[in-house]
Amino acid sequence: MAHEVVRQHLPLFDEDGRSAAVDGDAGRDLHYLPDFPEEDPYQAGHRTCAGCGPAIEYRWVLKAAGQDTVMAGPTGCMYVANSTYLCTPYTVPWAHTPIASGGSFTSGMAAGYEAMIRKGRHPGPYPNIVVMAGDGSAADIGLGSISGALYRNHDALYICYDNECYANTGIQVSPTTPYAGMTTFTPFGKAVPEGKTLPPKNLARMMAEGHPNCYVATTTVGYSVDLMNKTRKGLNHQGAAFLHCYTPCQKGWVYQTSMTIELGRRVVEAGLFPVWEYDPEERKYHYFHPPVQRPVTDYLAMQGRFGHMLPEHVASMQMAANRNWEDIGMDVPDELRELEDPERHKRLADEQYSMPLNRGVGA
Amino acid sequence: MSVRGTRVPEHLRLPIAGVTPPPTEQDGQRLFPTGNFRFFRPVYKDKTPPCNNACPTGEQIQKYLDFVKHERFLDGYLTILEDNPMPSVTGRVCYHPCETACNRKDHDEPIGIRNVERYLGDYGLQLPENPIKAELPELGDKTVAIVGSGPGGLGCAYHLRRLGYRSVIFEAMSKPGGMLRGGIPHWHLPEEILDAEIAKLLDLGGIEIRCNTRMGEDVGWDELRNYDAAFLAVGQDVGRRLSVDGADLRGVGGALEFLREAGMGRPVKAGKRVLVIGGGNTASDAARSAVRIGGGTSTIVSLESADELLIVPEDLEQARDEGIEFKPNTSVVRFLGENGVLTGAVLCEARLEKDEHGNVVPQHVPGTEYEVSCDSVLIAIGQTQVLDWLPAELMERGLVKADEYGRAQGHVFVGGDVTRGPAMVVDALGDGKRAARNIDVVLRGEGLAPPPEVEVMPYERLNTAYFKHAPRIEAPMASPAERRRDQKVEVTLAYSKEQAVAESDRCMSCGVCNGCDNCYIVCPDVSVMRDTRENGHYSIRTTYCKGCLVCVQECPTGCLEKVPEMDFDEPEAVTRMETAFAPYDGAHAEQSAFTKGLIEEAIAASDAARRQSVNGSNGHAPAGSNGSRGATS
Repeated sequence: MAHEVVRQHLPLFDEDGRSAAVDGDAGRDLHYLPDFPEEDPYQAGHRTCAGCGPAIEYRWVLKAAGQDTVMAGPTGCMYVANSTYLCTPYTVPWAHTPIASGGSFTSGMAAGYEAMIRKGRHPGPYPNIVVMAGDGSAADIGLGSISGALYRNHDALYICYDNECYANTGIQVSPTTPYAGMTTFTPFGKAVPEGKTLPPKNLARMMAEGHPNCYVATTTVGYSVDLMNKTRKGLNHQGAAFLHCYTPCQKGWVYQTSMTIELGRRVVEAGLFPVWEYDPEERKYHYFHPPVQRPVTDYLAMQGRFGHMLPEHVASMQMAANRNWEDIGMDVPDELRELEDPERHKRLADEQYSMPLNRGVGA
Repeated sequence: MSVRGTRVPEHLRLPIAGVTPPPTEQDGQRLFPTGNFRFFRPVYKDKTPPCNNACPTGEQIQKYLDFVKHERFLDGYLTILEDNPMPSVTGRVCYHPCETACNRKDHDEPIGIRNVERYLGDYGLQLPENPIKAELPELGDKTVAIVGSGPGGLGCAYHLRRLGYRSVIFEAMSKPGGMLRGGIPHWHLPEEILDAEIAKLLDLGGIEIRCNTRMGEDVGWDELRNYDAAFLAVGQDVGRRLSVDGADLRGVGGALEFLREAGMGRPVKAGKRVLVIGGGNTASDAARSAVRIGGGTSTIVSLESADELLIVPEDLEQARDEGIEFKPNTSVVRFLGENGVLTGAVLCEARLEKDEHGNVVPQHVPGTEYEVSCDSVLIAIGQTQVLDWLPAELMERGLVKADEYGRAQGHVFVGGDVTRGPAMVVDALGDGKRAARNIDVVLRGEGLAPPPEVEVMPYERLNTAYFKHAPRIEAPMASPAERRRDQKVEVTLAYSKEQAVAESDRCMSCGVCNGCDNCYIVCPDVSVMRDTRENGHYSIRTTYCKGCLVCVQECPTGCLEKVPEMDFDEPEAVTRMETAFAPYDGAHAEQSAFTKGLIEEAIAASDAARRQSVNGSNGHAPAGSNGSRGATS
């Protein structure tokens, strides 16, 4: 006799009044985070770099998912740094998959658990199945397998932690590397002064447009409650869910280790990484409108990988950001519109920008 | 990858899947103590918020706002009482230097601290029992004489009581309170609130107030010396006279005397057309009281120009709402009268000039004289005090001399207006607190020392990304028409509970950890532990903290700081990793005993689990299971 497959339901956290999911003045001006669970299935003792963005994202995702979770990780920096000699920091089951097969492996896990539960061979509810693939795996080498898994609607959460390069092998260009982002494969020079000439692949939009049955969302490490709530929404969604998460890479982008979270906020405030949610029930996008709109230079100037940019490159980046603002239904202030003109810029390295308060350079 | 069934020589025994120690929630992955990446360590160092620093009594404002935002009103009230005995009073009358200093003014608008304080003070007055009474120390045998029962004297008596000293307060008036009663009108501070606060103070025991006892007449300087110590807080309640023609006409009087008579509950009269001479807060209070009592109009005649007025802005605005008129840059030439009764005044345009001592020297503009009619004049051009009973060597320019500790001589301390000229209630309360602490020090035979230096948190060092813009909740007010009706109608009204909580919630907790959990959640290395969390006390797990300083950068309040690792002398803080993966001697280094032990434990646990699973599933002893593991120890 077939057993029933019981799904878990994870309650959402209260918004803290400054989270990305809150639009406008909702919520109290509360400076306290909600009570997060004590457990950390992603534990200390991993060998990521100091201030690692993906490590923060891993911790938040697993904190939100809890102990009844099974996870897979295709090859990427978070596979290498977390499992040297296979000494992992996970207190939940974890499996490594080849870089191309994150999606197919997870499909198998999901189908396997459903079958085992139906046959009474797995006690307890259906576990949270999470695969966290880097942008190299999710947007490039393993794109096909993840797309397949989303299309077949296996009940699992597919996360792309996007550090905008192949960091594992020493910072090579990936499809999500931003325009003008310098990597070892896109150095700047006389022939190609901007470094990378191509715009980044719009992965999350691709996933949402291409798999309208899936819950798809984007988020950044700048917004902890938002990231954890979107993780839980993705896990609660019956069927495939895809989360595209912006996670700064200190070594690849060349910034001060302490600025990881600040970058996560600024990329949204500069209009370069729209944060949204796609609801498959309504077939609608819900956009987060950040309270601050900044010129892109506020974001670019914090990172060494953009240090070579010339006025026309900065202006072109601003144009892309302005189109993003329009896409998500926000007005573009005149001062940002004017910055589409290269005449308004100097070389990025020569100009003074609004840098965040710096409380010190870390390790 | 499994190595089961193969022989792994002892010296090649690597920590590999199946036999590596798994991480635990408690200890992390112990094979990799990543703390040795670290150059800087985050350290919690609370600083002084600007509000706390600006308050003369040193109220821990951030702390009680934090209690209020969690609706812990009793804790909030007790926090105020550590520094200020009468929050109901200061919550109404204080000119709030805290709000002026509040960092939130650079963000949007300062916090309504005074109104929250008033909410807590009124909350405290509602309590059936004074919550600090049970925790006071036993009264000792030492008694301190205090001259004056104004805020300075009462504050000193309160803090002395908290330290276990008795006190006797000499008060010249028939009721205690000093300027609180005789200088501040009822519409600012209702009499019953003041009475309740004084009653609460007297209820602590060990404090005696002797009213109708004037220094120099009923008690002399020498009698004060009979006490173990003394605190002089006589204030300045004598109004300065104006030396112009007609100043002795009936209808010309001092504003202070007017306010005192009204405050003491004696019948007072005010005319229908009142002129108030002066440009300070007393002038404003007198003018506003006069329209309440006389029902007519008041005009404030000041040498100061409209933007030089020394009236605090909110009072000025309220006065304008109530229809008080202003004649700035104007001086009185003479008063006019008939049969010794005032009928009018001659005014002229003038400028404010000061001589080298700071004395006011009005500069009249000749030919601009004009007449106005009036039936009452109140003079508010400054205050002084009669101090002829004091030894002359203690005086200087009409004030009492004191050193940096507020000490006049020996065990005699001094504070309040009589040391600095007219100032705020909270200044006097602060002097009282300082005097009590210093009296305690000298009576214990120790030397006075200046207070420790504090580091004040500036706005620029907060991480303002975490603070949404939220407007200040203004305190509700009685309507101007209602206010003019009676001098017992309170002008500023109280916050509701919800308003008090919401306003406290705007506090940015500058420089002080408020347990917001931000450092805890942003740590990539699970190294900020909140197991010791008690209103914001976290510990840093130095074994794993890599020193990325994300927590320091993201701390909203700025209480986290980086400290170079070399400043710490803790050889055991991090297990050094030089040997974690040395498979045999010479490749990297020798495998440390700690690492070896971890791996051996893991192997034993793995073997035990395997044995158990074989036993459990097959129900018989594992044949040959010893050999399958390769080399076992």
